[in-house]
Amino acid sequence: MKASRKNGDVWLIAGVVAVALLLFAVLWLLAERGTAVAVTVDGKPYATYPLSQNTEVKIAGVDGGSCTLVIADGQATVVAATCPDGICVRHRAVSRGGETIVCLPNRVVVTVVGAPAVDGEV
Amino acid sequence: MHRRLLCGVLTLCLVFGAVGCASFTAATPQKASWLDVFDTVTGLTVYRMDGTDFYEKAEQLHHRLIDYHRLFDIYHTYEGVNNLKTVNDNAGKAVAVDPLILDLLEYGLSMYERTDGRVNILFGAVLTRWHACRTAALADPSAARLPQEAALQEANRHTAPSLLEIDRGAGTVRLTDPQASLDVGAIAKGYAAELAAAYAAEELGFTSALLDVGGNLRAIGDKGGQPFSVGVKNPDADAARPYLLTVGVANGAAVTSGDYQRYFEVDGRRYAHIIDPDTLYPATYVRAVTVLCPHSGLADALSTALFVMPVEEGMAFLQTVPEAAAVWVLADGSLRYSPNFESYILA
Repeated sequence: MKASRKNGDVWLIAGVVAVALLLFAVLWLLAERGTAVAVTVDGKPYATYPLSQNTEVKIAGVDGGSCTLVIADGQATVVAATCPDGICVRHRAVSRGGETIVCLPNRVVVTVVGAPAVDGEV
Repeated sequence: MHRRLLCGVLTLCLVFGAVGCASFTAATPQKASWLDVFDTVTGLTVYRMDGTDFYEKAEQLHHRLIDYHRLFDIYHTYEGVNNLKTVNDNAGKAVAVDPLILDLLEYGLSMYERTDGRVNILFGAVLTRWHACRTAALADPSAARLPQEAALQEANRHTAPSLLEIDRGAGTVRLTDPQASLDVGAIAKGYAAELAAAYAAEELGFTSALLDVGGNLRAIGDKGGQPFSVGVKNPDADAARPYLLTVGVANGAAVTSGDYQRYFEVDGRRYAHIIDPDTLYPATYVRAVTVLCPHSGLADALSTALFVMPVEEGMAFLQTVPEAAAVWVLADGSLRYSPNFESYILA
């Protein structure tokens, strides 16, 4: 009796987790693709680059450092940086609204911005 | 202890799952669009309506718009229809027209009063000269030229609103000066959008919808208790941000007049389509101005009027129209708001 209830619990738990994961995956897949990346350095707006245009730019960070941002095939990625940890370089390419790449030593933040979802335009 | 943690995690999963579901179950709006009215793109999005048969109702609305377009058209003639082109072609003679034309023209004359002459439906004599140059320049950019200043000055002698005679009793209109001509470009689309929206709400049962007649946006109702979000376009089309800001619009109109919409170039200089009645040349005070107000015809007229005056003057003028709010986009890309505009800003 007790064992079977436990068994049922396990199935319920597994089911709920599976449904949640599925919803999460679907929502993530449907997440709006961004149209541009906005770059800030030390919190101040630096530049905005459209994701539709392939480009490679060197972003001047703080204290003479720099990050190299590459936009290709609608995705943005940092391919090189003067920072010691290289976390930004290892970060995967971003393309969805809200995704960010941060290079903390250089105080560079790259954020994917999208066209805001609107009902109409004038 | 573990149990409790597990319960917490599962509850969170359920909550997030439910939120995810809610965003999926929001009804998909139904859409229709037409390219054959007002020489522009007209779009309809219906979020909620009484009854069914969206496509049938949309087609009824489409036919209404075709009727308005044919009546208010100054460029084409339609068999069996006396429209504004008929009136212009027969300047000097009385022309029997549909009561809707009388309504539009009376509305136009009232806008002349209200905007202190900035919006003038008798401005056709001047505007046709600019229109001819723009059409020619777009067809053959190498032959682009400006209208002769003297010709503009001469044309401007035939633009007084008193040159239009409206006879309600006889159902006729007459241009008393054979050189005068009507141009309702500053009001017709907005006015037609207002008529169409009223028809859609009252006759078709649309309770939550957006009608967009070439940038003359008219909201019917709202979107589940929230205003519709409307993006104000960036005049610089190549910029990364397509919208300078988004505003909330419910039960009302939004329209933009901008130098980026229709223009032609001569010697690398851009000449936009909105002509300042004082200079007879394209107005260059601002890049664009967007007006929000309940009546779409008024919004259309106001956006044109504000486009042809300096911002400070427009700001003062707008105080005489408390139901309207505006945002100006200046040449350097900065924005100016009328005092009541900020309450409409969503983002």
